[in-house]
Amino acid sequence: MLSYVAKKVARAVITIWMAVTITFFLLRILPADPTLLVVEGDMTPEMQAALREQYGLDKPLLVQYGLYLGELLRGNLGVSFRQLVPVLDILLSRLPWTLLLAGSAFALTVLIGIPLGVYAAVGRGKLVDKVVQFLGVTSNALFVPSVAILLLVVFGAQLGWFPIGGAIDPRTRGAEAYASLLHHLALPLLSLALVQVGPYALTLRTNMLEVLGEDYIKSARSRGFTPRRTVWRHALRNAILPALTLMGLQLGTLIGGAVLTETIFAYPGVGRLIYEAVQQLDYPLLQGAFVLLAITVVAANLITDMVALALNPRIRS
Amino acid sequence: MTAPLVVTRARRRRAFGSPSGYLSVALLLLFALTAVFGPMLVDKPRGLGADILQSPSAQHWFGTDDLGQDVFAQVIWGTRISMAVGVAASLIAIVIGTALGLLGAYVKRLDPFISTLVDVMLSLPLLPLMILVTALVGASATSLIVVIGLLSWAEVARLIRSNGMVVASMPYIDGAKVLGAGPLRIIGTELLPAVSPLIVVSVLLTAARAVISEAGLSFLGMGDPSSWSWGRILLNAQRSGVIATAWWQTLFPSLAILLLVLSATIAGIRYNDSRDPRTRGV
Repeated sequence: MLSYVAKKVARAVITIWMAVTITFFLLRILPADPTLLVVEGDMTPEMQAALREQYGLDKPLLVQYGLYLGELLRGNLGVSFRQLVPVLDILLSRLPWTLLLAGSAFALTVLIGIPLGVYAAVGRGKLVDKVVQFLGVTSNALFVPSVAILLLVVFGAQLGWFPIGGAIDPRTRGAEAYASLLHHLALPLLSLALVQVGPYALTLRTNMLEVLGEDYIKSARSRGFTPRRTVWRHALRNAILPALTLMGLQLGTLIGGAVLTETIFAYPGVGRLIYEAVQQLDYPLLQGAFVLLAITVVAANLITDMVALALNPRIRS
Repeated sequence: MTAPLVVTRARRRRAFGSPSGYLSVALLLLFALTAVFGPMLVDKPRGLGADILQSPSAQHWFGTDDLGQDVFAQVIWGTRISMAVGVAASLIAIVIGTALGLLGAYVKRLDPFISTLVDVMLSLPLLPLMILVTALVGASATSLIVVIGLLSWAEVARLIRSNGMVVASMPYIDGAKVLGAGPLRIIGTELLPAVSPLIVVSVLLTAARAVISEAGLSFLGMGDPSSWSWGRILLNAQRSGVIATAWWQTLFPSLAILLLVLSATIAGIRYNDSRDPRTRGV
């Protein structure tokens, strides 16, 4: 069990280190000289030299890399080109919104995906199975902005049931503020969950089919447990674990989807920030956003693995 | 375990014997023909001035945008870029993914490094990374192809590696080794043909993902500003603030993305199932 935890933690650290290293070398290799990007207009050679020294660019690449890692460990992600504010401050003010959006999409996906996968597996080959499979493949083929725009047009603009942008009405207070928060969350959340739920339900269906064929399920039935109890209590428990791991792997896609849907709904998270940073070519902000999102995804992945460990005694041995 | 690449009559019947099978292949063909010949038959979309934001009509099948450009023409011209980027990026990803997957499957010393690399790539948020890289190298169709291709091989490598390992443990591989074949020769002449059906499936599924990635990056403004793509049509609607009103400007490119991705995915699944009739899906 300890070695399992150690392995997962090591993998998480390696992944974050890779993400950080990739961005460092990308930024050093691709634009010839980052100082040229910092300030527009003319710069005297002396000013450039001073800037290069300030950024440590006069030192060898490996020394720069060491300095960069050291700064990162202290939480320094650099300064935004356009807003001249530390990148980390900007990102941290936006991150809670993205966490709320992606986290609730994750929860909703599991909530819808489990019954869909179970019913499809139990009714294998029947209509319900075919419908779930078709919906699953279609959901997997959906483009997040397309879904987001469709929801916005139908439920926001036409029917007027939900707001078409923003995250909260700033005039609301107390319980009203929470209601407003959920009201604004609904459409972006749905656009993500609709795209995520397909692959999840399909994986759960496959796992269920495998588990349902196992001996202990047959013995549970022969001991007189009802089919319903056998499926939901005995089989689901074991089918859910591989599906949980899959959800961990899907977190990267989920975050990518959040970037797109936040752009459409003007949702004030990291995704919308990335869209704005792209328009202004704010490289430190883009770099910081990727590093922070990578850390978020890896941390969430680690939590998923630990939940799987808690649920499944088999991993422990 | 793995059937040969040759498509027998029985397999063809299993793959295309249902509506979803031949419909998806027919749709893929239609998209390919549109990509090649469409721009020859339909004028390049231009700002015409007068007919702005018109809903679909006999004159403008898919309506017009805020500059009076015909949306049908934009979708047709967009087919070429979206498909070209999808196919080219998927080929890059397939070559890298197959090479790494087979090396991992056969060369035991390299496997820990390769499987760790695959796991890392699979768990990183790729869209933000693609955005960062594309912003650095500059927005163009070529950079989209290279960036998407270089960052989309992990899924392929995982699939090829796990199946390559099954083949690598078979007795005839040991036989080849005894006869003096080197690792590269075994990988090239024994493992590669054995996993080739999976490569066909991967090409289709990876191309489908690549089309989605291209649309996402173009939607965020990372596409070639001088050529049309489906994602860019959506971006134009977003930028000119007509998303809530001009439904035709977003619906038709969205349908194009959905149909292309769906038909490539289903074709891939059907081809895969035709190798093993027990695991039928869709």
